[in-house]
Amino acid sequence: MAVTHEEVRQAKAIAPFKFNLKPMIMGLIVLIMIFGGARWYQQWAAWDYGLDATDPMFDKYWMRVFWGEIIVEVTLFFSFVGYLWMTRDKHLNNLKPREELRRLMLWVSMLVVYAFAFYFAGSFYAEQDATWHQTVVRDTSFTPSHIFLFYMSMPVFIILGFSLFFYAITRLPFFARKISIGLVLVVCGPFMLLPTVGYNEWGHAFWLMEEYFTVPLHWGFVFFGWTIIALSGVLIQVMKYMVELLPKVINEKGELTS
Amino acid sequence: MTTMKSSKRNALNVRAALIKSVLLMVLMCVTGLALAHGERNQEPFLRMKTLHWYDVKWSVENDATIQVNDVVEMTGKVHFFSRWPEVINKPSTIFLGNATPGPVFLRVETYLDGVPMIQSTGVELGHVYDFKVILKARIPGRHHVHPMINVESAGGLVGPGIWINVAGNADDFVYSITTRTGTEIENLGSYAVPNVVKWHAIWAIVGVLWLLWWFRRPLIIQRYLLVKQGSWSQLITNNDRKIAASLIVGIIVTLIYANNITKEKYPRTVPLQGSKAHVDTPVNKYAGMVTVKNLSAEYYLPGRTVTVKAEITNNTNSPIQVGEFTAANIRFVNHSVPAAMKGVDVGYPGELVANDSLKISDQTPIQPGETKILDIEATDVAWETERLSSLLNDPDSSYGALLFFYNAKGERIIEEIYGQIIPTFID
Amino acid sequence: MKLTTNEATLLSAVTTPNSDAARISRGLDMFVVAILFFAIIAAFHIHIMLTVGDWDFWVDWKDRMYWVTATPMLLIFIPAALSYPFMMKFGLPIAGTLCALCLVIGEWISRIVGFHLWTYFPYSMIWPAIVLPGLMLMDLVLLLSRNLFITSIFGGSAVAFAFAPANWPILAPYHEPVVHMGQLVNVADMIGYSFTRTATPEYLRFIERGTLRTFGGESTLISTGFSGFVCMILFFVWWKIGEWLTNLGTIPNVVKKHVGLGDDDDEK
Repeated sequence: MAVTHEEVRQAKAIAPFKFNLKPMIMGLIVLIMIFGGARWYQQWAAWDYGLDATDPMFDKYWMRVFWGEIIVEVTLFFSFVGYLWMTRDKHLNNLKPREELRRLMLWVSMLVVYAFAFYFAGSFYAEQDATWHQTVVRDTSFTPSHIFLFYMSMPVFIILGFSLFFYAITRLPFFARKISIGLVLVVCGPFMLLPTVGYNEWGHAFWLMEEYFTVPLHWGFVFFGWTIIALSGVLIQVMKYMVELLPKVINEKGELTS
Repeated sequence: MTTMKSSKRNALNVRAALIKSVLLMVLMCVTGLALAHGERNQEPFLRMKTLHWYDVKWSVENDATIQVNDVVEMTGKVHFFSRWPEVINKPSTIFLGNATPGPVFLRVETYLDGVPMIQSTGVELGHVYDFKVILKARIPGRHHVHPMINVESAGGLVGPGIWINVAGNADDFVYSITTRTGTEIENLGSYAVPNVVKWHAIWAIVGVLWLLWWFRRPLIIQRYLLVKQGSWSQLITNNDRKIAASLIVGIIVTLIYANNITKEKYPRTVPLQGSKAHVDTPVNKYAGMVTVKNLSAEYYLPGRTVTVKAEITNNTNSPIQVGEFTAANIRFVNHSVPAAMKGVDVGYPGELVANDSLKISDQTPIQPGETKILDIEATDVAWETERLSSLLNDPDSSYGALLFFYNAKGERIIEEIYGQIIPTFID
Repeated sequence: MKLTTNEATLLSAVTTPNSDAARISRGLDMFVVAILFFAIIAAFHIHIMLTVGDWDFWVDWKDRMYWVTATPMLLIFIPAALSYPFMMKFGLPIAGTLCALCLVIGEWISRIVGFHLWTYFPYSMIWPAIVLPGLMLMDLVLLLSRNLFITSIFGGSAVAFAFAPANWPILAPYHEPVVHMGQLVNVADMIGYSFTRTATPEYLRFIERGTLRTFGGESTLISTGFSGFVCMILFFVWWKIGEWLTNLGTIPNVVKKHVGLGDDDDEK
């Protein structure tokens, strides 16, 4: 059968699907700069100015960093979450499937950035803390290690996690219709690590003078680390979303139809 | 109008609540403030009623420069205070070591009363022990070096420290030992590491190849749907099963083979040694010589002065004078007693020796058999810089110290003094 | 089992070679692999670090009792939990292997960049344990049996039974006897003693210190046996926890009207 002009015009109108990797790459680069920069800072400032918290130089080189972090992080948190809410899509019931697919893939790509941040908080800076405990006679709430672990790495992935959650509920119909418990656990569960820090420091100040890692006082962190298993639940939900969404934009042969 | 006013009020309340909750969250994270590295970290009542270090000598001078691989020796005496705080465990399990920023110094040998201290040990309260710690410089830099004793559940109790500058190249550090089986270990820090890396790499490669075996195929959507369809033969093929079975056999065979060759190469091994060293309880050579009783003690904050009213009885046959008052590594020396002044080494860390003299209300010697009541006044900014003034924040307002007496022959007699201490804020 | 119309369409689409759908599907694969890689390193590493970390950090903590008993038991938690979704939702018998690789990657990076380059601990003191053989055996048993009980018993216990044999080849050189200051210790004890850990006195080591009944020195076998038994149970329990965490549903969204969704949209 001859191809009509109509069909040709329609075929030309369907844009190929391209993954937008720029936000993800930018996010990864920014994180590498932040976390890499912090590690570089620790290499010299921890030794030169970070061994004695009663030293005025400690205040200059470390406590200022701490206060700076708190201010920046609180500001960014409310800015990101506020922006995502204020610019929410108010017509999710009318969202075009191609646009929905683009948003979903963007969101999934930003989950890579989130997971990357979680790596620095849960693995890199966390285990490094064990070594700094061995350098000072006694650890405190504010050390060159804690200042980048508790007060930078954890807030960073919390900011990213909440932003991703708010993106999902303001721009992706599947996650906006009903709140996914798995998603709440994955992005908000790790948030509970921060109050656990408070509990942990309280315990160290009043009971536990000896520094080893595998004590029940630390197990609050372990428990909330387990919430990442809920990520598999989120993955299943993304599957269900794909089953619902992809057939709207592709046909049986795998070709894009819109 | 009323609605607008109340809604404005509501908004302000909400904002105030938000600020309060943010501050509270920050506060939750900052519990445990006012702690630090080193001796200043610990509460005064802990530092003054646990260990008293004296006659501490280092084999190099304060702020000396040494090279990587050079050896430093610390010796001295450590007194375990008889009025040990109830709130921390008695020193029945302790470990002698060094307070340095980690392994910048290598610990070569340690002794307590001549007994090697590679293991932990236990000591008796109210006794003094000789310690010796030998270190080897490893990492260049400027390091504070103290002797230290860790007490189970209390943590590290740190002695006086000096600065040591280590020059040279960290790569030049070497520490060699020979095992009982004759193996020469050229450098303990890198011994057998290539073997560790080799086995990690072997297993990692196996793991990566197994993962790639799956990752080369479409993973998520396709497999999700095939599982739903129940098409397990497509998901896990016969090939997969054959490879899996071979891998099981391969892993087990590798483990057996690796262990056999290891047993051949290292036929004689011993487990980690977890025993405890034993130190005989030393004789208290000063027992009964001088009786000291604390009648009152005050800490005058603005002037940074501790004043102790003490009743002292001389039970020896030679007149004695108070030469030194020492608490938590700070030394207050009576300048009028030459023997006491000789007790302060030239290179001793200046920040730990009070500039002002120890003031005694009556400098005349206490005669044999005589009982005198003395006001002993110790003034120095060190009380504050060493954070002993935070006695005010302690749930236990008591102090402990050592008094050094010197007799007519210049011989030293050491006795404890302890009691409640009252802060004074006004003249 | 029959697929729905949408599912059947989708399966046909993604299995068409070189199609747009296949490309989108493969792109999603890449993202998911990256996400899982970093997230598993973080979650598994922090879990191990704070439960059996001290034994893993230091060569002079790797004893025949606590290390050999506790490590396999704690290693099983997350891989068993992830085995459920990996296998039962995606037909991928790789949770154990992936977790093991992620863990040792995280640990090695930390030991090199943190323990060694930052605080100068020597590599002979801080190498991480080998965990892959046992966790891979666990996967392989699951692949062949596709049965929870068989995997719990043989796969779960494999994590324990493979642990000591996998590590002895790298630990043995450190257990050669040494005499120092007239005392008998082994090379690992010497390393722990010599390289100052300011906050880790010797007594802090949670190691075998001798009992009246060590069965003629076969502590390792006893520890392994006990650990294997517990691992069987733990595999089953954590598989179930994984099942629960994977199948968590949803809760109503009370603010959805702000994004233009009404109650009838729930039906979609």
